Amino acid sequence: MVNLTIDGKQITVKKSATIYEAAKEAGIDIPVLCYAKKLLPYGACRICLVEVEQMKGRLIPSCTTPVTEGMVVKTTSPDITKVRKTVLEFLLVNHVVECPVCDKAGECDLQDLTFQYEVVKNRFEGEKFNLPTDEVNPLIERNMNRCVLCGKCVRVCDEIVGYGSYSFINRGFETKIATAFDRGLNCEFCGQCVSMCPVGAILPRPFKFKARPWQLSEVDTVCGYCGNGCTVTLGVLNDKVETIRFNDKTGVNDGNLCIRGRFGYGYIHHDDRLRKPLIRKDGQLVEAEWNEAIEAVVKGFNKAGNEKGLGILSGARMTNEELFLLKNLAKTLGTGNLDHSGGECYKGLTEGLMETLGVKASTGTFPQVESCDAILAIRSDFYETHPVFGMVVNQAVKRHDAQLFIVSDKKGKFSKLPHAKTLLGKPGTEIQILNSMAQVLLSEGLAVTDGVEGVEELKAALAKYAPADVAERTGVSVDAIKAAARALAGAKKSAILLAYGLPYAAHSKELAIAAANLSILTGNAGREGSGLYLCGEKSNSQGAIDLAILPEAGAMGAKDMLEAARNGNLSALYVVGEDLLTSYPDRDKVEAALKGLSFLVVQDIFLSPTAQQADVVLPASSFAEKDGTFTNAERRIQRVRKGVSSPGDAKTDFEIFELLSARFGRNISYTAPAAVFADIAANVAEYAGIQLDAVGPQGVVWGGDDLALKKKRVVAVDGPEAPQGDFLLVTGSSLYHSGTMSTRAKGSLSVVAEPYIEFGQEDAKKLQVTDGDVVTVKAEGGQIKLKAKVDRRLPQGVVFAPYHFASAEINRIYKGASAVAVELSK
Amino acid sequence: MSNAAETVQEEEIDLAAANEVIDKYMDMHGALMPVLQDVQEAYGYIPEPCVHLIAERLNVYTSQIYGVLTFYAQFHLEPRGRYIVRVCMGTACHVKGAGRIADTLKERLGIGHAETTEDLKFTAEYVACIGACGMAPVIMVNDGTYGSMTVQKMDEVIAKYKAMD
Repeated sequence: MVNLTIDGKQITVKKSATIYEAAKEAGIDIPVLCYAKKLLPYGACRICLVEVEQMKGRLIPSCTTPVTEGMVVKTTSPDITKVRKTVLEFLLVNHVVECPVCDKAGECDLQDLTFQYEVVKNRFEGEKFNLPTDEVNPLIERNMNRCVLCGKCVRVCDEIVGYGSYSFINRGFETKIATAFDRGLNCEFCGQCVSMCPVGAILPRPFKFKARPWQLSEVDTVCGYCGNGCTVTLGVLNDKVETIRFNDKTGVNDGNLCIRGRFGYGYIHHDDRLRKPLIRKDGQLVEAEWNEAIEAVVKGFNKAGNEKGLGILSGARMTNEELFLLKNLAKTLGTGNLDHSGGECYKGLTEGLMETLGVKASTGTFPQVESCDAILAIRSDFYETHPVFGMVVNQAVKRHDAQLFIVSDKKGKFSKLPHAKTLLGKPGTEIQILNSMAQVLLSEGLAVTDGVEGVEELKAALAKYAPADVAERTGVSVDAIKAAARALAGAKKSAILLAYGLPYAAHSKELAIAAANLSILTGNAGREGSGLYLCGEKSNSQGAIDLAILPEAGAMGAKDMLEAARNGNLSALYVVGEDLLTSYPDRDKVEAALKGLSFLVVQDIFLSPTAQQADVVLPASSFAEKDGTFTNAERRIQRVRKGVSSPGDAKTDFEIFELLSARFGRNISYTAPAAVFADIAANVAEYAGIQLDAVGPQGVVWGGDDLALKKKRVVAVDGPEAPQGDFLLVTGSSLYHSGTMSTRAKGSLSVVAEPYIEFGQEDAKKLQVTDGDVVTVKAEGGQIKLKAKVDRRLPQGVVFAPYHFASAEINRIYKGASAVAVELSK
Repeated sequence: MSNAAETVQEEEIDLAAANEVIDKYMDMHGALMPVLQDVQEAYGYIPEPCVHLIAERLNVYTSQIYGVLTFYAQFHLEPRGRYIVRVCMGTACHVKGAGRIADTLKERLGIGHAETTEDLKFTAEYVACIGACGMAPVIMVNDGTYGSMTVQKMDEVIAKYKAMD
């Protein structure tokens, strides 16, 4: 620690602090334009100059100067004010003065400083720039005439996002910030540059002319998309979410967001939102009142109860409180057939982890990953499934020199990080590669085996996973496998990341076990600061697992329920917040299952293809319209807060479950989600002792930063071979979308508007396919047509199609296997 | 990845030479400058496909490379003529009629500063000073220096290079 004096105040701060940070900690305000707490010090704007007694004779930039013992700093003086005023005058030489029409007015740092320092006239005169505005893309507008060259956008895109869209170009007076070849912005549109820009140079287009900043009321809540659980701040005006704003004071995301979080909120106020319950009459879904709808549901469920029974399939975007009510409702209805998202995927993963580690969640927290020495990312690119977690990994690699290994069937942004090693295997062979790494650890004596059960059995079973054999079967080199295993074993702190969700339904149990085996053998499991990270696809995937939205012993899971429905062995299905037809593997089977039911109830916010098949449709609320909690992929329980009202007669899932429970004779009278949370804490062991009021801005991580393991048991599992065929199709998430909900969000759609099939360049050349060509994809007796997109990341023989779009009907040919051999023709 | 921005037609060029250059410097720390210099040497300028190739193989952002290319005057993003005619605009040359020399060049070849003839034979560049004030007004054509220029001498020099391949 270092002691210093700032403006006469005695301050003690850590050695690595700068003068600016020390002052900030002491509550002393120094103006800044180019500083941001998450970026490396830069010192470009010179507005933060201060006096330091030991460095007399010149002013010192406080944001880049580290504190030293005994330093005496003055942050205001006539000299400092004079210089800051001059700096502002310089900035305003070229800067256009168009505040009345600038959307940033009212929250522009330059404007505020100009006001504060009373810069009413400029002693300097210069030519104003007249650069064209970049309005090529629909989301981010760039007006470089307002730019002050602080470089924050350049830095955030490099340091945090890892995309590198921007650079300073030209030199001298001509210097400006531009993209490669000075074209329109064409990036992943996360909008991090928007949130960083201290002036009106980079603006969110969807928010343009919607409101003045001071008119908006701000509501901190949790993003409704993926399991990363980023805090978002809704900017609300007239009961409408007008923007998602930057907020680095709450949550784990440091104000970082991806395109979905920042621009994907449009679905909340979509015209297609369900406003009234619908009941099927004479084959048509017609609007009805709640009473009538609930009566219909009660009648249908009662009838089903007397016949072949009822099943409940839930999504993973409801709050914990809602899931808890659903679980209880299932009990009231007398059914143990309960599952969420994607058949065997979630269940398998949970079972796999229980078998090995005795827990069913990530064992560490996201911030810990930044200080890991070695990181292994399994399967798809985290930048696409959990983009903001991807940014943490980016910083681990770039700032702390972590070694990064990626086991995947395609390259992604992770692969481009400095010295990243991609173990590029044939699709579906990840388990083999993980097994092989475990084999290396055991055969080279690197494995941690103290107190581990099942080592000898595993050793024997891994005989067929020697690197040389696996290399031949998967296409990953022997050296790469060995290097990854050794690096992971040698790391003081390591992270193993595994993304899971609907597009990865196959072999999820085996994959969880193979990953857990590695976690145990490398010493990752149970070590402080290390962790195995299970990253669920949706905002409350972890909550759904914690609250056991899973089949009871002896009852049916998702896959079995659909099978039973198809065979006429299940009468009714209650689908809550999930679009089975679009997102579940094997559409034909799902269709047959829905046809086989005598009664189907769908509760959702849109009339999804599944809802269109329903007998009763109940209109629900989006995340922005309710209070409660989500548990993210690192077990962090965070507050979800209501920002706007639901459209029409739509009700929250909470209210709907209450209504239904009451009608089935179980009157629950929770006054608010807080009361339910207390009940959860009393019933779910992991949540014991947690009070909702104690869930502060950073949330509460149940089980603590390092989750205590119940056991360490390695289990042998076999990995499948890659299917045979000239082309293998893999499906998964596309960065711009999440589940099927984002396909109603204008922001996401403006970048990726329709389904596509992605080709690597070599394959595209070979098949003479160019961007936009319509390609016929045949497999498994099905056939679909998709538009082609050519990119650089796919290896030869692998094609990729995102699963989000209902119209694509990917699941006509994707039946749950990791990869599908397909025939392609133009 | 996205389809939001305008599509840009890339020119078709043979990347073999660029690949060779990158191979040579691949393992060198700070390879970007020499790679760019050698690629320019090979192509006469830096074609856009080469920028993308360098970005991918050296793992540098395209935007960064573009920043470097526009910072240094030595790099060119457009094809240049085989003969670069540098007209000195320094004080001595200016006093002794550099303007007339530049005008003559423009009249005869139709190219002003930083312009290239359509047949890619000549590129004109007005430069600050080439350090041969004693020979003012002076021009350079590639490595050759021509001093005490007149309109007549200018015609001779142009004719000489026009006759060459």
